Amino acid sequence: MELPIKISQQSREPIYHQIENQIKALIASGQLQTGTSLPSIRALSKDLEVSVITTRRAYQNLEYQGFIQTLQGKGTFVADLNPSIKQEIKQDSVSRALSEAIETAYQHNYSKQQIKKLFLSLLDT
Amino acid sequence: MKPVIDVSNLYKTIDDFELGPFNLSIEPGLVTAIVGNNGAGKSTLLKMLMNLVKPNQGDIRLLERNISEDESWKQHVAYLPQRLLGYDPFNGHQLKEIISNLYPNWDESRFNKMVDMFNVNLSKKYGKMSQGMQQKLALALMLPRNPDIMILDEPTSHMDIPSKYLLMDILVEWMEEGHRTLILASHQTEEIRKLADTIAIIRDGDIIGHYEKDELSRYFTQYWLADSLPHKTLPGEVKRKGERIVITNQERELEAYLKRHQLKWSQKEHIDLNDAISLMLI
Repeated sequence: MELPIKISQQSREPIYHQIENQIKALIASGQLQTGTSLPSIRALSKDLEVSVITTRRAYQNLEYQGFIQTLQGKGTFVADLNPSIKQEIKQDSVSRALSEAIETAYQHNYSKQQIKKLFLSLLDT
Repeated sequence: MKPVIDVSNLYKTIDDFELGPFNLSIEPGLVTAIVGNNGAGKSTLLKMLMNLVKPNQGDIRLLERNISEDESWKQHVAYLPQRLLGYDPFNGHQLKEIISNLYPNWDESRFNKMVDMFNVNLSKKYGKMSQGMQQKLALALMLPRNPDIMILDEPTSHMDIPSKYLLMDILVEWMEEGHRTLILASHQTEEIRKLADTIAIIRDGDIIGHYEKDELSRYFTQYWLADSLPHKTLPGEVKRKGERIVITNQERELEAYLKRHQLKWSQKEHIDLNDAISLMLI
């Protein structure tokens, strides 16, 4: 199975972190349900064009944090997650996206007021 | 983890061409791509790994054994050279008979699967096949040996595009089956991007670097300056494009320099893997 993950080589965020966060977001949003089988480290590395060293690190972190589970000889699966953690992840991915937007606005010399105004007007459309 | 192949101070001269001295360590479970310009010495290095070419000096340890001491390591390694000698007069069936008998772990079903996928006509003589078809058959005779280490010298140079993709899937599957190691000399950028974990770069007989792929994807950064570049060479500068674009391998130093000299830049971007390799081979 291919995962809808997009890696940015331009982002300051390390690649293993990007993989980790995007898989978390897919789990939190319900796109990846408990028990869903994940691609092998080698297969995901090929799809994302990254080294297995990077993908392994992302999988290890996800496993350590309880998001995924590896069963010897069977593969890697989405673990059963507490709903409150899902909620937390959701909030986390939205605030990350908004923070990035704010950073872009600052780079273009927007003031706090201007950002607020633009945000509210976009929210109403 | 202990390296499966450990090359130290390897040096070889062939007429007036000098290879090395170099050191290279290959970790198990990884795909290592060996890239370089034509005639850089890639194939000679691979032949030395197989003890087919003797170095003037230096050591090669394979699975923790010195390759020149005994040949017991050979059953763990499958090597595919660019040109297979002696295959021409035999057809696919005959070649399979000969080779499968030499390898006790021969996996017949994998051979049949690959022949099927690649549409190889086994009744045809090897010498009468197109070069692409020869490569397909050669690979189908390689993977079923179930080696721990596979060394492939430009295995897909003549293959059509769909077959190259098929082979990548086959190799991914093969790597997943155990603690296997693949060494791939290749000019195929797609193969390098999708399969390699580390990349060793050889230029004119020297290994100029052995990098984790993801490190190489961020090795060079291109900056767009707001005004013309100064004449002086900038920190880490490897190339300029026109008046305002500079490529560096020292982001932090360059940015500090630009700041000190009040030079503004509008954008920066990491150079992608292919361009990074090209920059290193120039």
